[in-house]
Amino acid sequence: MFPALWARLKGSLKEIMLAYDPATNPLNNNEWAFPLCEIIHILGFAFSIGTVALVDLRLLGLAFKSQPASKVLKDTAPWTLVGLVVMWISGPLIFSSDPVMYLNNASFRFKIGALLLAMIYNYTIHRKVAMSEAKGAGAKLTAIISLALWVSVVAGGLFIAFV
Amino acid sequence: MSLETFGQWLQSADVATALRESALVYPVVMTSHLAGMALFGGMILMTDMRILGLALKSYPISEVVNGLRKWKHLGLTITAGCGIFLFWAKADQYLSNPYFWMKISMFTLIIIHALVFRGSVYKRAEELDRAPVLPTNAKVAAIMSIVLWSGVVTAGRLIGYYEPPQKQQASTVLHQPIVAQSTR
Repeated sequence: MFPALWARLKGSLKEIMLAYDPATNPLNNNEWAFPLCEIIHILGFAFSIGTVALVDLRLLGLAFKSQPASKVLKDTAPWTLVGLVVMWISGPLIFSSDPVMYLNNASFRFKIGALLLAMIYNYTIHRKVAMSEAKGAGAKLTAIISLALWVSVVAGGLFIAFV
Repeated sequence: MSLETFGQWLQSADVATALRESALVYPVVMTSHLAGMALFGGMILMTDMRILGLALKSYPISEVVNGLRKWKHLGLTITAGCGIFLFWAKADQYLSNPYFWMKISMFTLIIIHALVFRGSVYKRAEELDRAPVLPTNAKVAAIMSIVLWSGVVTAGRLIGYYEPPQKQQASTVLHQPIVAQSTR
């Protein structure tokens, strides 16, 4: 049953892709719509990555030293989520302007991979370490990996225009 | 010296030429510019939202303002430093781009904002913690900060969308009516 269902789903996906004409997308027909999406996207990731960075600075022992790491995480988490939601709305809109180009773009693929990895990492290992009040090399390494993952998402996004 | 020749002179420097022509270094500098925005722009937003009482309410204002100050300074240095190099590499294009001047204007306003509110608000974070009600000037400072920094990001992104009027196009437009007349 499942392979048949999957085949049907794949077939209809392909049909949708073929029937979809990006030229009809409002983002391609309004001078301001696309840049506006990009600006919102940038402000969105400033929010999410900036707040993750606060937790990372705490784990590195470089900021909010008088507060426990778990508290910094809990207090910034809602804003991280707000930023992620903004990105996951503006991002797919940007993608919809030219799906085939994005899907074939190596940097876009890298970015999506890095983003999924960064999000999974953020809500599993990163969260666990911050909640456990871990100190020392382990906590620092967790923070550095987190920063590296998020910066690579930004890099992947920017390089879409350069590959 | 016109603005155009000044821009061309600026970008004719070896460093600028090398950066402009590098397929890898140029986007890497741009990535640092953007990553700086992500890491430290977020801190600016969170600081202002703490002053306004919208986020991190259980932290004293002074802890957020003073604790993040050096990180925001470092972030600004990285972001603006990379930005200056990006400008330098293509100075000619930037100087004739209205959005670039919009961004410079925003920055001028940010410097004025700093001159006005640094001493009266940000350097007196402890007083804000003791105040029973948030003083109006602190509220204005935080809101202006969010507006101006978002404005810098907006103007910066729009720089990429400006299409300079092309000299060649202008000449073809000029010739068209003449051709049309002669064929009539």
